[in-house]
Amino acid sequence: MRRTSGIGGAEPQIDDELDPRVAAGLLEQTRRAAERDLSFRSPWLTAMAAIVVLIAFGAAWLSVLGQRPYQGPTWVALVVLYAVVLVRVITVALAHHRARSGISGRTTGQQRAEAVVVVVVLLAVYAVMAALLVAGASDAIVYGLYVTTATLLALGTVWAARSAVREDWLQLGTAFGFILVAAVSAFAGPYGVWLSDGVGCCIVLLALSLAQVLQIRRDRSAA
Amino acid sequence: MSVPPLDPTIHAPARLKIVATLAALPEGDALSFSRLQTMIGLTAGNLITHLRKLEDAEYVATEKTGSGSAARTAIALTRTGRVALDDYTAALRSLLAGL
Repeated sequence: MRRTSGIGGAEPQIDDELDPRVAAGLLEQTRRAAERDLSFRSPWLTAMAAIVVLIAFGAAWLSVLGQRPYQGPTWVALVVLYAVVLVRVITVALAHHRARSGISGRTTGQQRAEAVVVVVVLLAVYAVMAALLVAGASDAIVYGLYVTTATLLALGTVWAARSAVREDWLQLGTAFGFILVAAVSAFAGPYGVWLSDGVGCCIVLLALSLAQVLQIRRDRSAA
Repeated sequence: MSVPPLDPTIHAPARLKIVATLAALPEGDALSFSRLQTMIGLTAGNLITHLRKLEDAEYVATEKTGSGSAARTAIALTRTGRVALDDYTAALRSLLAGL
């Protein structure tokens, strides 16, 4: 670590007299502003995720609804699903990039490692999906029950582990919500699993969005 | 009960803002000079002056990487700085409770 010498020109130091009440207000105001600026999470982004998940799973559910025998979501439904997920990913990536701009250090490396974990886990989920097809499992199991339940369980578990390490109890509760939705939805069968997952995840995300709003209000009233 | 004195290194508007902003980062993370300047709204010269004072007290650590136009300075709150901010906040609360 080195000193900041050599950056711009030094100006006279200003040590204003500071009333303790003003100092307390300034401290709280700055802390809240910094937390807001440095975080990419917001109730609006979470509410948007709730809508995205409802559209994505809803499109898949509508496409399988009349299938006899079950064949899995149609290409049109998959295009809708991936399009809304892509919009969500881009929105989060932009918000994340803006919030993390200029930040370096330990959490940057942690986040890269977490992204690698998510990719590896998803690849494993899809590898097992291929193994099920090779083993002769039906389309209803592979393209219905397995793909939805396993993906949601895997992502929920990664999310829960990440939140537990960071002692982020709100996110941990949300991750448990996803795991619960995945486990319960598996009983809805290959058709109903899409609707059950979509509605369940939407409710969990709306609850998270509401909790974020309440948290922001509580922080403001405590200030 | 005596009220602990307010740490004069932190008890200045600009330095209070610097320390409070850096404290919002997780331990081990640093903020670039330009981002810190944008968030706090100080001139570069003023920010350097206050950072020097905080560095002298070992409350912040700065690291310069690269050279020329690619030079980048990262600033982090040290453990000593975090403890000092906690102590300052506690002292401020005691003081305000007694008013």
